[in-house]
Amino acid sequence: MKPAPFDYFAPTTLEEALGLLKQYGSDARVIAGGQSLVPMLALRLARPEVIVDLNRVAALAGIAEDGESLRIGAMTRQARALASPLVHEKLPLLRHGLENVGHPPTRARGTLGGSIAHADPAAETPMVMLAYRATMVLAGGAGERAVPADEFTLGTFDTCIAEGEILKEIVVEVRPDEGTGFFELSRRRGDFAMASAAARMRLDAAGTCIEAHLMIGAVAPVPLRCDAVAEALVGAIPTEVRIREAVRLIDLDAFEFDNPEISLAYRRHIAPVLARRALMQAASRAGDLRQ
Amino acid sequence: MTIGKPVVRVEDERFLRGEGRFTADYTLPFMVEAHIFRSPYGHARIAAINLDAALALKGVHAIVTGADLPEGLAPIQCRIPTHGDLSPYLQYPLARDKVRYVGEPIAVIVADTRAVAEDAAELIEIDFDPLPAVTDPARAIEPGAEPIHESGNLAGRWGFDLGDVPGALSEAAFIASDSFSIQRHSAMPMETRGLLASYDAGRNLLDIYGPTKVVHTNRNMLAAMLGMGEAEIRMIEPDVGGSFGARGEFYPEDYLIPFVAMRVRRPVRWIEDRVEHFAAINHSRDCAFHVTVAANRDGIITAFDVKLVTDMGSYIRTHGDVVPSHAAASFPGPYRVRNYRIDAMTVMTNKTPTGTYRAPGMFEANFARERAIDRLADKMGIDRAELRRRNLIQPEEMPWYVGTESVKRPTIFDSGNFPLIMDRALKAYGWDAPFEREVNGWKRGRGLCALVEPSGLGPFEGVRIEVDQHGKVQIFSGSSNQGQGHETILAQIASEVLTVPMEKIRVRHGDTGIITFGGGTYASRTAIMGGNAVHSASVGVRQKALDAASRKFGIAVEDLDLREGAIWHGHRNEPVVTLGGIARMLMPGNQEILVSPSAGNIPDNDGLVVTSYVRGVTAGAAVFAVHMADVLVDPETGETKVERYFVACDVGRQLNPLIVEGQIVGGVVQGLGGTFLEELAYNEDGQLTTGTFADYLMPNVYDVPPITALVFEESPALTNVLGVKGVGEVGPSGVGATIGNAIANALATDTGLNKLPLTPERILQSTGFGGLQ
Ligand SMILES: Cc1cc2nc3c(=O)[nH]c(=O)nc-3n(C[C@H](O)[C@H](O)[C@H](O)COP(=O)(O)OP(=O)(O)OC[C@H]3O[C@@H](n4cnc5c(N)ncnc54)[C@H](O)[C@@H]3O)c2cc1C
Repeated sequence: MKPAPFDYFAPTTLEEALGLLKQYGSDARVIAGGQSLVPMLALRLARPEVIVDLNRVAALAGIAEDGESLRIGAMTRQARALASPLVHEKLPLLRHGLENVGHPPTRARGTLGGSIAHADPAAETPMVMLAYRATMVLAGGAGERAVPADEFTLGTFDTCIAEGEILKEIVVEVRPDEGTGFFELSRRRGDFAMASAAARMRLDAAGTCIEAHLMIGAVAPVPLRCDAVAEALVGAIPTEVRIREAVRLIDLDAFEFDNPEISLAYRRHIAPVLARRALMQAASRAGDLRQ
Repeated sequence: MTIGKPVVRVEDERFLRGEGRFTADYTLPFMVEAHIFRSPYGHARIAAINLDAALALKGVHAIVTGADLPEGLAPIQCRIPTHGDLSPYLQYPLARDKVRYVGEPIAVIVADTRAVAEDAAELIEIDFDPLPAVTDPARAIEPGAEPIHESGNLAGRWGFDLGDVPGALSEAAFIASDSFSIQRHSAMPMETRGLLASYDAGRNLLDIYGPTKVVHTNRNMLAAMLGMGEAEIRMIEPDVGGSFGARGEFYPEDYLIPFVAMRVRRPVRWIEDRVEHFAAINHSRDCAFHVTVAANRDGIITAFDVKLVTDMGSYIRTHGDVVPSHAAASFPGPYRVRNYRIDAMTVMTNKTPTGTYRAPGMFEANFARERAIDRLADKMGIDRAELRRRNLIQPEEMPWYVGTESVKRPTIFDSGNFPLIMDRALKAYGWDAPFEREVNGWKRGRGLCALVEPSGLGPFEGVRIEVDQHGKVQIFSGSSNQGQGHETILAQIASEVLTVPMEKIRVRHGDTGIITFGGGTYASRTAIMGGNAVHSASVGVRQKALDAASRKFGIAVEDLDLREGAIWHGHRNEPVVTLGGIARMLMPGNQEILVSPSAGNIPDNDGLVVTSYVRGVTAGAAVFAVHMADVLVDPETGETKVERYFVACDVGRQLNPLIVEGQIVGGVVQGLGGTFLEELAYNEDGQLTTGTFADYLMPNVYDVPPITALVFEESPALTNVLGVKGVGEVGPSGVGATIGNAIANALATDTGLNKLPLTPERILQSTGFGGLQ
């Protein structure tokens, strides 16, 4: 469990980091919190020739308000984001997601950008960003580009980050008047989920749902957006009965993952349960906001 | 008085300060490191090995393969008696023509550093001809199955047939029958294995740091394999970060690392990494029972009829077939059932070889028996505790001869009042108290399990106690310490007898250089065997000191007394002499008591030193325990929450209640891991699919429920002077059974929950995915 030999660079600015990526091309890999990359190095599943360490690039970390949005630097530690009053107040779904990411020690090192760039199908933060329809800002030799979350994750451990690019920050538009819900089931607390659900909902003054989002994670290479469920709720009072009916519209055929210990049948059984609970929680919180 | 006191473990301070010294903390001048190249295949022939590129890498000193091992080297021997001849299945330190499990050592690479050695491993070229992997024991013994060894895949078939099982079955009023399986899992000590071997060629002396558990046995095995004298090898146990039965057995590496150190003439260190550990350490548990239990109209259990198939993995190791053997010998548990039959098969597969893991055979047998008894109680419509109560062995029936044997020794329960402990346990827990069946949609269930855990097995143990001129006491123990707290309890016993404070006592252990013979630590034996050896040596020291004082001061021994580490004369308020003073008197060369010269050698004193070996008693000491738990189950998802866990047991006598409680609580947590999470799973190609901690799930701190230990000292062991019974294994032993029973109770189901681990999915399956939304 010793990594294959590599060269190591620790730039302090984004420009320097991008320069190194340009110089070494496909031989180079950035490291953030190392919580996923270091085990892969140790198992020699990843064997980059060059490691570019982003931990000293101060400009990549931090959470800032920008009008209606929050901008979260890719190198922001998961623990920082979890403790941030801004996140608590404006992005409750991110907070609920992060509470389920690993453990205090892994969150102390692990970064938000690393989690999103790593694109584990069961990871919470990419699903949360999909639920928020966030924007990923990528920096590269030719400047920056903004990619919507829906186009960012391509598959298991696969994103649209191109050679020479770094995920710089994540921009999330903030909706103050919505309720959110998050539920996941894992074998142990802190593990990757067997299935997860994230929901957002807005209600009008009469308690009618005017906007809903539902994502199901850990069942397919990319978290599933369940528009049919959302559409079935818009225009309705989101009662338990209504939500139970709506989650039947989850496209169970789109589920792919099937392992000996966590079968497809089981995932198809629990995902609607989790979705219902997340939607109920979102509805109840949205309801609280109206009072 | 120190025995029985909650003395804080003397080991804790150095561990908590990070001052423990583990194998990886040891280095020696000129030391190099080893890495083992292991089979990537579950079953394959080795056609050719090419080492050229690997040997050419800078920093590589040597690479040893099977071809380099001495001609005529014997395989690693099994150290305990087995059912039948298992010698065709023993493992050689390195594979030669064929590999039989993923992780089997093929070559040892010695290099400047571990990293270089791993780089070299990638350059080793091996032509493998893959063979079909056999991973399912049922398939392994079908005709036409690919043979793993020439002697066939069925290694052994044996059993017991006591009383009249067919008769009892035909007359039974109630019968419950089902299959129960326990998944392959094993010990995951925090510290993996490690060895540092240093060979002094000039003097032909070999020192090895890192062995543990049974160092004298291992030393003798190594001496035989290397053709060296036993005294030419010294094995030294550093601090050890856990074993739970697996660490410290004689593994291929225990030969290979000394062997390469002698070849390269430099100290060689090998620290097992976690990925190696998963594939290399003895696996355990992997077995399936079919149990039929019969009862008459009065709820008296009349028969157990059992079939047991154990997946032994690819080789027989040092433990032989002791795991299924213990399971078979103790299957009837605490019940007075005289009609008992078991048909046991041990089957070879292309998986890592197996050995013992805390509560070997017992965790498994208890799960199968106690789940079956719950099924029976449900059928009869009687309370589950009541059914057990009616069938317990009675105190006047002690000692109880089960009628079986394991490792060629009869299974005997020496003492105990099972009904009394059971009643007190039920009362303390509130077993009969009604409880809310449902909380926020979760179902609550309650389960129990009764069991007997054998302890204190093994032939003998020994210690030497030395008192120095300052009255400080050193205990040289033949047993080992892997984190259980033996330094503390052994010192407590000496402290009690010698009336010397704990601070003045040091315990050394696990070192073949300090004591001639040693048994080791396994089978919850050190408190019993090591403890009684310390007791007997301490009594010897006391007597020797009193005799010496009597001689020197001309006072009758009966008028002398050992108190506060000194010899006192009656009630005078000055001691006659301290233990340190006696030690000085008894030093060889002491002018004062030099005997008059004579021709030839003059015998002299040998210090205030006493060596004592105590003999093991057949079947040791039996601990009776009752486990109970309340568990919540989410019927929609199969999630569970253990609300509280309770263990009552009779340990005869507690040497240290803190350690007893710690052993029980830690053991329960380990049992919970085996019940809910841990599994060493293989796919059809014989690949280990749960070979890192990302997939092999151990309980973490959030999963630990409140655990209560209620410890009784009701029936002191009759088989040792201290009256102690071993407490190392009662914790895990009943967890699978108790939790399975509690979940079945919660879901009111009489199917399923017979396959560990109890994953959420399996829990839902037991109700046919009921509770659909
Ligand atoms: C015990 C444990 C439990 C865990 N449990 C969970 C869990 O429940 N849920 C969960 O989601 N995760 C979990 N993780 C993973 C953890 O959240 C990781 O921190 C995360 O996946 C990666 O973040 P990192 O900062 O450590 O990235 P690294 O490991 O450093 O990098 C991961 C990958 O992302 C790339 N990368 C990193 N930053 C950037 C960037 N700015 N631009 C481009 N590429 C980048 C790297 O090149 C690498 O390929 C767990 C990890 C551990 C060790």
